[in-house]
Amino acid sequence: MSATSKSSSVAPTRSDFILRLGRAQMWLAAAAIVAMMLVTVVDVVMRYAFNNPVRGAYDFTEAMLVVFAFHGMAACFVARTNIVIDLIDGFIGAPFKRFLQRLADLVSLGLLLVLTYAAWKPAFQAFGNGETKLQLSLPIWMLWAVALVGLVGTVVCAAWLLAKPLGALPVAGSSE
Amino acid sequence: MSAPAIGGVSIACLFLLMFLRIPVWAALSLVGFCGIGVLSGWQSAWAVAGTAPFDTASAYTLSVIPLFVLMGEVASSTRLSADLFLAAQKMLSGLRGGLSYAAIAASACFGAVCGSSIATAATMSRIALPEMRKAGYDDGLSTGSLAAGGSLGILIPPSIILVIYAAIAEQSVPKLFAAALIPGLVLTALYILAAAVTIRLRPGYAPEPISVSFREKIAALADPWQFIALFVVSIGGIYAGIFSPTEAAAVGAFGAIVLGIVGRRVTGQQLLASLETTVLTSGLLFIIIIGANLFSFFMVQTHLPDLMISYAEMWALPPSLVMALIIVAYVVMGCFLEGIGMVLITVPVFLPLIVKFGYDPVWFSIIVVIVVELGLIHPPVGMNLFVIQAQAPDIKLTSIYRGILPFLVAPFGLIILLFVFPELALWLPRQLYR
Repeated sequence: MSATSKSSSVAPTRSDFILRLGRAQMWLAAAAIVAMMLVTVVDVVMRYAFNNPVRGAYDFTEAMLVVFAFHGMAACFVARTNIVIDLIDGFIGAPFKRFLQRLADLVSLGLLLVLTYAAWKPAFQAFGNGETKLQLSLPIWMLWAVALVGLVGTVVCAAWLLAKPLGALPVAGSSE
Repeated sequence: MSAPAIGGVSIACLFLLMFLRIPVWAALSLVGFCGIGVLSGWQSAWAVAGTAPFDTASAYTLSVIPLFVLMGEVASSTRLSADLFLAAQKMLSGLRGGLSYAAIAASACFGAVCGSSIATAATMSRIALPEMRKAGYDDGLSTGSLAAGGSLGILIPPSIILVIYAAIAEQSVPKLFAAALIPGLVLTALYILAAAVTIRLRPGYAPEPISVSFREKIAALADPWQFIALFVVSIGGIYAGIFSPTEAAAVGAFGAIVLGIVGRRVTGQQLLASLETTVLTSGLLFIIIIGANLFSFFMVQTHLPDLMISYAEMWALPPSLVMALIIVAYVVMGCFLEGIGMVLITVPVFLPLIVKFGYDPVWFSIIVVIVVELGLIHPPVGMNLFVIQAQAPDIKLTSIYRGILPFLVAPFGLIILLFVFPELALWLPRQLYR
């Protein structure tokens, strides 16, 4: 199972900042889930009890999902909960395993940079064309901005993982 | 190199990357991104990489994932599972092996409010394992019953894996939830049968039964009313067409929190911990789904499924043999791949083949979930086995492996039943969503 322990005993200042960033993004994602839940429940009650559904509940749920998904990512990286297949662990020595872990961290960071860089163009396009959510009239670019902030936060957390000595980090988990 | 050949090589690279401990999401994303770049040009790859994460994260249908995970997490932190087990224990008292049957039945019921197999196995084993050991049940039988019962969590609705399947196969979540109900109940019965046969062959595995009065049995039915209320309102709401899956998940999660607070079964601290676990679990699923979307986009471009179809037609393979080969492939992959990753990698490849050979994608979703369940309980790497051992480290892994063996017959039995009687999965969705 995925390791979900939180890293502790870290050096002050920069590490504290990264951990705080990861926690802040985690609680932002949690708040988005709660908001999504509450608005949907109110919408259901208003629709069946008063025949007066909450206008824009659908759009709101989609918007909160964006907040949750992009900010929840950072928390997953800080907690090192990524799913890893650990089939070879029994056959390799500790140094090679450490090397593979570092390689995994490097590949993950590289891909996050790719995803972040690739997202700028459609984000600017969304800003340029002024598209909005149908019911809430919420500009789509705002959601792209939320997504980009979340991605940048995740990149920072993933870079922090790569910069930390492996001994100070929890081991990435494996399997469901 | 032709597009299907690039697809084949890429799948080999994907397995190699995962074998080298590259996280599943990263392996999927890397192969998907590079594959699109090679096949359709890098401009196209950058465009897909830019939009796929946002499209995934703003897909309304996927909002059920964090909400159902939250419902399961809150239900796990309350004493709902204990109520279920105690009720099942009393109802099945008087039978030799009653606690084993109770563990399976209570796990099935708990799976109806928790879409995760591991959470079901962990929660139920915390409650049931000490009771079974105290009563003198064989360790292998106890852990086998709990591991098998726990695996029902991903088949009996709500099932996170079915939601993910629905997203990649473009199927309706309510239809899949309806399709899973009867197979889930049949599998519960088959697990109980497996336990009964084991006890019949090895009577020493279960102690002499202790019976309670009929009045007590009836009274016990009232205890898990919260569970019944949650299930009826959320999943019943989907079946009745009152709620969309997202609404059902939101109402279910809200209901679990309210029941926990009103019944003083959950503290503020536990609620916050449930929220934190929900973010980590669901966030992780979203990262993998983003990677899978990139991979899936690439797979479509490789035309690999078309090539597989043409080979199957060229060799005049009967549909049942094609399906059997796919199931064997799943069972083998289940030995070393994690369930959700396996679904995300294989469904884009296998689904066109399944449809071409006349199988219903709704029926196939149930087969996929059953083989994933099998992967969760079969040695040497069945995750549920490790989860249960973590609850009782003094039980040897060899005892757990021995204990699960009789239960492995049940999923295979259900697959055969689904082949012979596909209506087991297809009847209910047809009745509900004509």
